[in-house]
Amino acid sequence: MLDGSGSDRGRQLTRREEITWYGLAAVTYVVAGILEKGLLNWIVGPIWLIAFVWFGPLITDRLRRRR
Amino acid sequence: MSWAAHQFEVYAVQAHLPKKMRGKVSFWGIWLGDFTPDFLSKFWVYGITINGRRYGASIPEQWHRGWPGMGFTHTLFAGALIAIGLWLWKRNRALTVGYLLGYAAHALTDVNDSVGTMLLFPFTTLNWSARTWAYAATTDGGKYLDGAAYYSSLGLVMDLFWLFVVLGSWRVLSREHWRTSIVPADPHVWSWFARFMPERALLALYRATFFYGVCRMVAWSTWAHIFARPEIEGIPRQGYPFDLSWTGPWWLEARSLPHVNPLIVIPAALVMLAALYWVISRLWEPMGKRDPRVVAVEA
Repeated sequence: MLDGSGSDRGRQLTRREEITWYGLAAVTYVVAGILEKGLLNWIVGPIWLIAFVWFGPLITDRLRRRR
Repeated sequence: MSWAAHQFEVYAVQAHLPKKMRGKVSFWGIWLGDFTPDFLSKFWVYGITINGRRYGASIPEQWHRGWPGMGFTHTLFAGALIAIGLWLWKRNRALTVGYLLGYAAHALTDVNDSVGTMLLFPFTTLNWSARTWAYAATTDGGKYLDGAAYYSSLGLVMDLFWLFVVLGSWRVLSREHWRTSIVPADPHVWSWFARFMPERALLALYRATFFYGVCRMVAWSTWAHIFARPEIEGIPRQGYPFDLSWTGPWWLEARSLPHVNPLIVIPAALVMLAALYWVISRLWEPMGKRDPRVVAVEA
């Protein structure tokens, strides 16, 4: 709705992809946070999630296309 | 103090708006209101250490919640003052009401620790504290001891309570809710973000505070009870012990400031919350008539 690019950069995630990327972001952030408490703050947390959900599918889509 | 509860209550407030306000109150207003009290005061509570020397409040609870100190940042009075300033500056009903609700949620939730907040400031500087769990920010323990104490006490229950309140209204986290209720209340902010980010990232941005709340709760609890190796009363332990008794945990002295009778605090906080919703509800239409955005939509 809000993304006018029309490219795969802005494609919607399926339910399964959503669960995968949000879950992956959560598990890695919790583990990283336990190891380094400095990461557990309101700036890194949101950036961590957005990075996974934004760039994760982008990278996997590109890798799939190359194959 | 409360930890992830402050992240969850942003969505809980959004999910429990009066019917006439649904889809019309700014999410970013609630978010900003909820985070302002700690933005203004918390940086000095734990302090910073440079070359082995700590710079910060010598009495953290006095600085954070007391008067003299920055305790006024955790009062309904301060929330109302800033909200009035916002209204006079922006004439934006969605933002002003959201901000006030978020601010109030923060100030009222924080009455639960052993220090509490000055609910009736500036009429009295007595703190209102239900003493549900121990306020544990100390000069030597820092964030680690605070986190360990909170997630060993009824503080953890408080976080879980707010988490279940949000999960009970899970639609507030859905894409449909974001599209139909969140974006229309803040169209300019979301449009600005949409210049740089695809929709899935915008949705993640909306959910990010909830994500952060869940993750910090899990990470701090796991660290405190599995990985930490504290020494309590001279005995080395594997993990901090749980204590879900009132004003726990037992292994830490609960900080306190002069306060009212704890028994009246929860009922008083609920009455104030109800009164706030009543006032906002009464002001909703008059504010709409003076908000150019609302007038333009209704014209």
